[in-house]
Amino acid sequence: MNAPPLTRRQAALALLASAVSLTSCDKPEEEIVPYVEQPDRVVPGVPMRFATTLTLNGYGRGVIATCFEGRPVKLEGNAAHPASLGGTDVFLEAAILSLYDPDRSRAVRQGLRIGALENFVSALEPRLRGLEARGGEGLRILTGNITSPTLLRLIGAVKGRFPAMRWHTHEALGEENARAGAAMALGRPLSTLPRLDRAAVVVALDADPLGPGPDQPRHARGFAARRQARKAAAEGFSRLYAAEPVMSLTGAKADHRLPARPEEIAAVASALAARLGLDVPAPELPGPARGFVEMAVADLAAHPGEALVLAGPWLPPEVQALVHAVNARLNAPVEYREPPAEAPEPLSVLVEDLRFGRVDTLVVIGANPAHDSPAALGFAEALGRSQAFTVHLGPYFDETAALCRWHLPETHVLEGWGDARATDGTASVTQPLIRPIYDTRSAIWLLNLLLGDRDTGDRDAVRATWSAGRPSGEFETWWRRVLHDGVVEGSAAPTVAPPEPRLPPPRAATPGFTLLFRPDPSVWDGRYANNAWLQECPKPILKQVWGNAVQIAPEEARALGLSAGDVSRLRLDGRVVEATVLLQGGMARGVAAITLGYGRRRAGAIGDGLGTDAYALRPADGAWSATGLVLEATGRTAEILRPQDAHRIEADEADLFPSLELAEFRKKAEGPPHEEEKLPTFYEPKNGDTYAWAMVIDSTLCIGCNACVIACQSENNVPVVGPDEISRGRDMHWLRIDTYELGPEENPRPGFQPVPCMHCETAPCEPVCPVAASVHDSEGLNVQVYNRCVGTRFCQANCPYKVRHFNYRGYADGQEYANLGAPSIAAQRNPEVTVRARGVMEKCTYCTQRISAARRAAEKEGRAIQEGEVATACQSACPSRAISFGDKRNPGSTVAALREEPQHHELLGHLNTRPRTTYLADVRNPRPEGGAT
Amino acid sequence: MQIFPPYADTIARAALLATAGALLGGLGLLIVLPFTAHVTRQDITVEQPIQFSHEHHAGGLGIDCRYCHTSVEQSRFAGIPPTETCMTCHSQIWTNAAMLAPVRRSLAEGDPIRWQRVHRLPDYVYFDHSVHVAKGVGCSTCHGAVQRMQQIRQVAPLTMGWCLDCHRDPAPNLRPKEAIYDMDWSAPANQRQQGQKLIHDYLIRTEGLIDCSRCHR
Repeated sequence: MNAPPLTRRQAALALLASAVSLTSCDKPEEEIVPYVEQPDRVVPGVPMRFATTLTLNGYGRGVIATCFEGRPVKLEGNAAHPASLGGTDVFLEAAILSLYDPDRSRAVRQGLRIGALENFVSALEPRLRGLEARGGEGLRILTGNITSPTLLRLIGAVKGRFPAMRWHTHEALGEENARAGAAMALGRPLSTLPRLDRAAVVVALDADPLGPGPDQPRHARGFAARRQARKAAAEGFSRLYAAEPVMSLTGAKADHRLPARPEEIAAVASALAARLGLDVPAPELPGPARGFVEMAVADLAAHPGEALVLAGPWLPPEVQALVHAVNARLNAPVEYREPPAEAPEPLSVLVEDLRFGRVDTLVVIGANPAHDSPAALGFAEALGRSQAFTVHLGPYFDETAALCRWHLPETHVLEGWGDARATDGTASVTQPLIRPIYDTRSAIWLLNLLLGDRDTGDRDAVRATWSAGRPSGEFETWWRRVLHDGVVEGSAAPTVAPPEPRLPPPRAATPGFTLLFRPDPSVWDGRYANNAWLQECPKPILKQVWGNAVQIAPEEARALGLSAGDVSRLRLDGRVVEATVLLQGGMARGVAAITLGYGRRRAGAIGDGLGTDAYALRPADGAWSATGLVLEATGRTAEILRPQDAHRIEADEADLFPSLELAEFRKKAEGPPHEEEKLPTFYEPKNGDTYAWAMVIDSTLCIGCNACVIACQSENNVPVVGPDEISRGRDMHWLRIDTYELGPEENPRPGFQPVPCMHCETAPCEPVCPVAASVHDSEGLNVQVYNRCVGTRFCQANCPYKVRHFNYRGYADGQEYANLGAPSIAAQRNPEVTVRARGVMEKCTYCTQRISAARRAAEKEGRAIQEGEVATACQSACPSRAISFGDKRNPGSTVAALREEPQHHELLGHLNTRPRTTYLADVRNPRPEGGAT
Repeated sequence: MQIFPPYADTIARAALLATAGALLGGLGLLIVLPFTAHVTRQDITVEQPIQFSHEHHAGGLGIDCRYCHTSVEQSRFAGIPPTETCMTCHSQIWTNAAMLAPVRRSLAEGDPIRWQRVHRLPDYVYFDHSVHVAKGVGCSTCHGAVQRMQQIRQVAPLTMGWCLDCHRDPAPNLRPKEAIYDMDWSAPANQRQQGQKLIHDYLIRTEGLIDCSRCHR
């Protein structure tokens, strides 16, 4: 199309306009807006830290939040909290983005329309009076798992006002099997907490303590405590066995792993029990499983009191019960605690009652069963057809909200008061870090409303819970201490001695092609679907982003005539969904696996329509597996987005990811220290007498959980690029976790290697930069000067580690996935770090802003930076403490000591890049031939 | 037929020369422009919501800098006083002055005073007041004789070259700790020796002072 020629008048005006816009090419006016009354203790520019509590599946995990002028920007683990111990996981790290999510619900809705809160209250109140007259018959409350003492107290009070009220809970990824198993074996559903830090031998039967879940940081820390390969203390190194159908993080770290179908795992459990002297029939096992059991039994029997068998939450109750019996026989390091006093009713009861019109008023608090309950249960349908007065309180206008009469926007956990208990019962308080951004309400408010109390604030409600039974004079001091520490001292539930376990009846196995349902490492049960950081975080081992897929073993795929990327049809009991095929080594034959939580329809702009909704196939009882799956090709293919493709590079494995057995390590440790010969270099030697920052990453301890990846993203304002850019091969993560598949293809042994910038002393990226944007500083950091960078990308091409990332588009601002459509996202940015513009190269800086803060603090006090004063974001996030950082020139520093370990190595050291980031090779502890331990 | 008159050559030469001159001049302008006040905003007085006079408060009354700029020793940001700081005195004196009406309104309505920024660094620079005052850089070194300014203005160019002049060689600009907030301080005759001594006394590590990562992140 030709543009019409301009008239002279138009041309003159255009010229004038461009002249005006050129002269206005000035810095925009900027204002300084001070306080009217400056709050106490607030110093503008100095961040403040507060302890608070977040939850996953209702269980509290303590965090320390960093706030700049009342704006939380970063969450880190609270070392005083037993479920965090200073480490985090991806969900804790990413919670900060959800606070500023533009798709959060901000308005009361009546049906699909925006309504008024007053209208809701005036509609609710007459109903409550009617309900009260009937004793509460027909009132139902539906929640997720709740451990919060305040919410439990309020629900109890609601029961007091409405005695016939019934309370239901629903967790898509619940612990029903574990509770049923405990009830079967021990007579009551005791909750169990395995202590990996006290176990010398662990046999994980389809259990994934190192995988995503409320206790991932705790278990990772416990595991790491027994996997320290150090010259000084290599004793007590534990051995991990895993039998599982799908590759999990625990399986990846195992010294012996057995890919096994679910019924084979039950058989392995029986065989273990029989061999350990329990009165169960010993089944006939196939060859590999027999060998596995032989070794495991020998090791278990050799470590009384230090041997532990774990059963995953997805194993059937009979196997769980059997494992309780085995652990009792082994005197295993497992803590047993009494279950919660009150057992709420399951969702299935509510569905029945909705269907038969027995529900008058339903209050849904923070649950989304219209998406995350099995479609076969028919909750969404029953809710949609119900004539009941239904209210939904939740952070998003989600699938359940859309089916309710009323929806109330829920306050984010970082905005309100509350409390929660960890899996061991330790209580902690949630305190607000920011005033609610939108006009939202909390669960405490809603329960108080049911009690007819509109005056009690959330803070008063929480204080009322905790002040009961405490002398009022001491309470204020106690309360301030609890808020400061982020944990209620001594509140863990006492452990109980379990009764002698009863042996369960044997379970009949149903053979056939089995579909396994698993939690998703990125979106959990679907609740984090609208979090762009999590969506773009490569799932451990699979490396998939922005979606899920059906995983099968490569041999299985060949037998079925499928290949990677084929869209397949999954049929199960007449229900059909389509999913893309992803091939994963290490899976048992005859099983397929799919993660739950995808296929959201009302998650928000980020999460809608991604992946396959596996809830559509899940059996109505919420089982973790289903037999009778038919998997067939549709003839179509789809792209599986994986920022790092899986390759096997067998020739270079020993160089890139060396691994050694514990015996070898001990031999090396006793031998003379190996001298690394320095290759000659043309670079001028840098002989400063200042700090020499260095990082050492222990591959033995890395569990590949991605906490560091999200921590880096949150600390360093790393943008999200979105699925389209990922499919073009672009991503921005400053820290990635390379996964090496070692060993045979049918049972590989993945090794995890986090790769930040190496900060090479002779950095290949530096000489090729035409504008000196990539330079060294005196402390050994390879720095990228954004305002010099002109975007030639020569440095990226010349970097052998591929850790440099280029802003092909304005990822941080202006693009589709950048501000996620709204300015609220900008409030999450760390003000200590530049937000990079389009056309600029960026990479890991060793958290130079944290080094700078420590340096300035030290300089002001006229001293040197102390060991441990600088912790990079990835280091402080790491639940297994695999990452160490410090001054390698300081002989007392951790990194200096680690660099002397016998398994210390440089990545691509033969290129003579002299990296400052170095690694400790992966030490494994398989059972030696001949049986000695 | 002759189309061009004899002087056409002259015109052509002059035109060529003028083009070259314009190009060179333009280039020169581009080089020089960043150092002019038009870009550095040096000595430009910005209209503020209140005609606050540093000359009167700091010079005449001798109020210490830190009375208002409270966070200069703790934070990278020196701090702009909250309205209540103004009202500590002005609830007692000049209580009805028309000039102070915006201050009274701010306190009454809880609406902050919106000052126009005068000293502005680019977003990719991270400057920290607290470490500079701790290491012997006085207020007047960068902000000039504030005590004689009716209206605050930026006296230094605040360009990167200007910052680096001092980071390369801090000795001429360092002063003893007790003189940091002394607005009338002037360098003694032996400033070079005294500066070197202060570098030593303050444990200033000069080798990393011109690292990019000192100010850019």
